[in-house]
Amino acid sequence: MQFIQAIIDNINYIGAIALFLIGLHTVVTHSNLIKRILGVNIMGTGVFLFFIAIGNVTGGQPPIVDPDQPNVLFINPLPSVLILTGIVVVVSITVYSLSLAIRIHETYGTIDQEEIARIISKEEGDD
Amino acid sequence: MINQLPIINLMLLMGMALAIPLFRKRAFNRTLVIGFLVMLLVLVLTVVMFVHVLQHGSISYHFGNHPAAFGIQLLVSPFSAFFSMFILFLALLVYVYSCGDATEGIEEKEYGRYYILLFILMFSMTGILYTNDLFNIYVFIEILSITTCAIISIKRKKETYTSAFRYVMLNEIGSLSYLFGVAMLYMITGYTNIELVSQTLTTVWTSYAPNVIIALGFMVIGIGIKAAIFPFHIWLPDAHASAPSTSSAILSAIVVKVYVLILVKLLFKVYGLDILHALKIPLVLTIVAATGMIMGSVFAIAQKDVKRMLGYSSVAQIGYIVMGIGLLSFMGLRAAFFHIISHGLMKAALFLSVGIVIFYKKNRQVKGFDGLGFQMPLTMGVFALAGFGMIGLPLTSGFIAKLNLGLAVLDAGKGFLIGIIVLSAFLNIIYYLPIIIAAFLKTGPEEPRPTTIEKVPKLMLVPVVMLGLLILFLGLFPNLVMEWVEAAVSTLL
Repeated sequence: MQFIQAIIDNINYIGAIALFLIGLHTVVTHSNLIKRILGVNIMGTGVFLFFIAIGNVTGGQPPIVDPDQPNVLFINPLPSVLILTGIVVVVSITVYSLSLAIRIHETYGTIDQEEIARIISKEEGDD
Repeated sequence: MINQLPIINLMLLMGMALAIPLFRKRAFNRTLVIGFLVMLLVLVLTVVMFVHVLQHGSISYHFGNHPAAFGIQLLVSPFSAFFSMFILFLALLVYVYSCGDATEGIEEKEYGRYYILLFILMFSMTGILYTNDLFNIYVFIEILSITTCAIISIKRKKETYTSAFRYVMLNEIGSLSYLFGVAMLYMITGYTNIELVSQTLTTVWTSYAPNVIIALGFMVIGIGIKAAIFPFHIWLPDAHASAPSTSSAILSAIVVKVYVLILVKLLFKVYGLDILHALKIPLVLTIVAATGMIMGSVFAIAQKDVKRMLGYSSVAQIGYIVMGIGLLSFMGLRAAFFHIISHGLMKAALFLSVGIVIFYKKNRQVKGFDGLGFQMPLTMGVFALAGFGMIGLPLTSGFIAKLNLGLAVLDAGKGFLIGIIVLSAFLNIIYYLPIIIAAFLKTGPEEPRPTTIEKVPKLMLVPVVMLGLLILFLGLFPNLVMEWVEAAVSTLL
């Protein structure tokens, strides 16, 4: 029972690490370029969830200052702000790699890493 | 006024990048001239800052005057001022070279875009050196990696796309691991400011030892992927070989070094010697560095393409730097920093002279260098000089770097590592010397005719010759730079 309670208490962290690992697995093992880009996104989501989970304060309110109630416990807004930047960064990386995937599809006619490798080695063999 | 210089430098570089698309008439020439002036101005300002910092101590700049606990702090210590000066100087030389048309393989209408990327690159690198905030470093790292990828894939050639894609994927894994490490540290300390984090860490780290170890592991692996430290080097040769010659020089001589400098910042400013010794980090770094030094050279021997060979050679040379860092001593860091300078000069000289050969001969195979020394005496002379530097012959800066590394290793009582340094030097001989011999002692397919100076644009030749002279100069008078290097080291230890 204690074990289950520990899992429930730390569900944010466990979820974040699970997402990170799923993403890492996708990036490293899949040969489809789009799936690899998705993997990076999943990895990023894991890290962001982890960061935001750190900022949580048990029983805290959203950090909006109300002049009528001066002594309210707020959650830490700083991680959320940092992650906002992080999301923008990952979006731009995604856009860039998607545009690369389009170029690769235009030149090789496929977005499968293994097939591209086969085409390249065939071309080198012809030279 | 002097306190505002860090932000003025950053804004100048960023402003130049944003201004380039606005030029309409004779855009390319204007870009070159104004860009050169801006870079020169930034370099002068950095030198001013460096002199000021040496005399009066570090400059600290708080964005929007927020306290360091919430805001972003720029901190220009002798360490960051010295290395930003070095980076800007080297980039200026490469920039002059690129004016004399060595934007090889880039379409004419893309020239402007190339220079936009170059200035953003400079912006992010100086930003990384100036900033004193872990999360801010992450943001700059991402700007840096996106621009490097874009520079690699700017040539409309097939092979660049795949190598850029591999680079972007690995880099992204690296950055996210780094961010994960930052999150772990934030969890323990509640800060992202380097100074505050390290203050908190020294008092509480024993209570949160697993967190500290995991955070260090994630961050070192993340930066290791980006700095091409040995087991994570697979992306480097492809990426550096397929980029245009000028960018290969910048990527190999500067960008990789910036990541190593982040590692230095992380190890010495965030963690501090006590924690690193307790976690046995020196042992790990030494093993990684030693294998990298040997394996990088072994891979380089097998290459037929000169630029790929130079890429693998960079992997080996990064090993030297990491070994110096891994000793965690004053001598070790001194040797590592001097090697960063000397390798930066030598790799830039090698890539640029190979760039001239490619520009002139359209050849990048190791075999095609026969007799080139007669046709292009200056270019191949600098290539030979830089090659000798890589091997570590006396009179070159490479010799001083290796000598210092050897002394540092002895000083740390790890004499057996000298064997690895010597072995790596022998391996360097195996792949640099044949090219030099082929260039100067064999006759090529064409009639050797003694020409005084090759028909290469002067703007390309001047930076290469200057790099060659600097390599010699540092080999003869290392003490001039060594003083500055020691000032940089003493801010870390």
